[in-house]
Amino acid sequence: MNLYSYIFRRLLYIIPVLLGVCLVIFVLFNLVAPDPAYTLLGKHATLKQIADLHHELGTDKPYLFQYLDTVKTAFTFNFGYSWTSKQNIWEMIKAGAGPSLAITGPLFVLSNIFAISLALLVAFYRGKLIDKVVLILSIAGMSIPSLAVVLFGQWFFAFKLGLFEISGYENGFPNFIPYVILPILLYVVISFGGDTRFYRTVILDEAYQDYVRTARSKGLSELRVMFKHVLKNSMIPILTQIIIQIPGLILGLLFAESFFSIPGLGAMTINAINNSDFPVIKAMTIMSAVGFIVFNVITDVLYTVVDPRMKLK
Amino acid sequence: MSPEKVLEVKDLVVEFRTDRGAVKAVNGVNFDVFKGKTVGIVGESGSGKSVTALAIMGLIPNPPGRVANGQILFGGKSLVTMAPSEMRKIRGNKIAMIFQEPMTSLNPVFTIGNQIEEVVELHQPHLSRSQRTAKAVDMLRLVGIPSPEKRVNEYPHQLSGGMRQRVMIAIALSCEPDILIADEPTTALDVTIQAQILELMKRLQKELGMGIILITHDLGVVAETCDTVAVMYCGQIVESADVNTLFNHPAHPYTKGLMDSIPSFDSTSGHKKERLQTIEGMVPSLFNLPNGCNFQDRCSKVTDACRGSQGDPVLKPSKGEGHYVACFNPLN
Repeated sequence: MNLYSYIFRRLLYIIPVLLGVCLVIFVLFNLVAPDPAYTLLGKHATLKQIADLHHELGTDKPYLFQYLDTVKTAFTFNFGYSWTSKQNIWEMIKAGAGPSLAITGPLFVLSNIFAISLALLVAFYRGKLIDKVVLILSIAGMSIPSLAVVLFGQWFFAFKLGLFEISGYENGFPNFIPYVILPILLYVVISFGGDTRFYRTVILDEAYQDYVRTARSKGLSELRVMFKHVLKNSMIPILTQIIIQIPGLILGLLFAESFFSIPGLGAMTINAINNSDFPVIKAMTIMSAVGFIVFNVITDVLYTVVDPRMKLK
Repeated sequence: MSPEKVLEVKDLVVEFRTDRGAVKAVNGVNFDVFKGKTVGIVGESGSGKSVTALAIMGLIPNPPGRVANGQILFGGKSLVTMAPSEMRKIRGNKIAMIFQEPMTSLNPVFTIGNQIEEVVELHQPHLSRSQRTAKAVDMLRLVGIPSPEKRVNEYPHQLSGGMRQRVMIAIALSCEPDILIADEPTTALDVTIQAQILELMKRLQKELGMGIILITHDLGVVAETCDTVAVMYCGQIVESADVNTLFNHPAHPYTKGLMDSIPSFDSTSGHKKERLQTIEGMVPSLFNLPNGCNFQDRCSKVTDACRGSQGDPVLKPSKGEGHYVACFNPLN
């Protein structure tokens, strides 16, 4: 099977998925969410103002027409303008992507390296003291609410010790660095528990296979056994877990950005939801749907690289 | 002239700690391996055959297992007390092992060439990359894999079970070990392939002169390939002898029982519809071994001595040279 034709065929799935995504956002927004005109105009609006606004936004058109409009947006990526700020949404996304990536990029790299190394370490020393200590820390990390970690971190490291900025952001490298270190560190702490447990399970699944015994019987050192034989076989679930995080990086951290007043895409999305800013929500939802499909295809292609038994169909 | 002794197992005890206390999976096992000769270790599942093999390889998972007592001497050196780094130089190099499950014993994500070269690279670091590849191809040819130049770049899933076991043998023999431990090498293969693999092992033994420890529960395999046999029961050797003596004059009732359990196709005996004989009862739990002989509950010749009035049975010389049996009432 030709790689390119496989990728092309898989990308064609974007069409039905986007149609479905449009239907879901459309239904949720029109039938479940409150009328955006009330949110936008406040409680003292007259009926005339509301009707005018409906006309201006196009929300007075027939549902079918509005749905087709959403579909058109999805396929052209022409997201239009925000209802609240009247800005071009593409411009908003471009402006927000920088601050978001300044946090999610390093966070993604650090948290995965940290969790996988730790998982290899505890899998190597399974049942020993270090495994138990990491288990307790992981469970603690998973159980403590992330908000508590964030608040404590801001209070202790930023306020008490004055090591970092409590919140805020400044554009441009290296100005943003003091603002992003704390959120990155705190989110590494928040995510390491679950990630480490997951990677440890995946690695240990392989560590008891017969081929590992064969590798040992050759006289290989435990490190070679772990890093060559076990790690490559664990790569499929590890790759899946890692790559599926990437579309999320572009979308930013929804809540963290609000906690730290980072003007990124996550904060933008939360604001849009609070203000019933339909075009912005629509844009972010469509972007994430496309992102997930594209990165799923990439994952599938990478499977064939790490596992010769995999064939693309 | 007696052949050179390459491995000596003395009073080997392997203990596993469990939630219900320590169990001795291997309890006082003695045997020797000679150059160019094959020792068969026979017994039911759980009799301690594989644990004995893993103990020789130094691959007992610790914890929970450990060699609690005894010696394994290889070329005068004790493998039990040897430092792990020293042991790794022997493992795969001087003592190699092949396993029961050819389907899963090879790493699925590396080519078979890579898996042969890996062990060569480790133990013969002076060879260049191209020499290693040539060695891998030679080994595949030696174990009878057709068009080895092509096969060397294939992955395990592209080979049949018999071919994979040949690859395992190629890996094991690529450093020309003094001892090959074969843990039920043919159990997972069908009968024609089984014969081919045993034939291959015998041929390579003649060519390379290694001692083989063949672990099996198949007496047919033993009769075909072994020079001497040790029969294990509950972690102990209950009878050992050269292969002819054992088959012609089994002294332990358990050995006799194993032989009677082999289906016979003898059509002249007039017992065509006769039920296959079995050994009554079950192997006792290692947590709860009886006093005296471990086989007492399943034995037809049981006496008070077997129930512990004279202690545990120990291996004693029986009739014939080199024939030992641990029984108070041996047959014949």
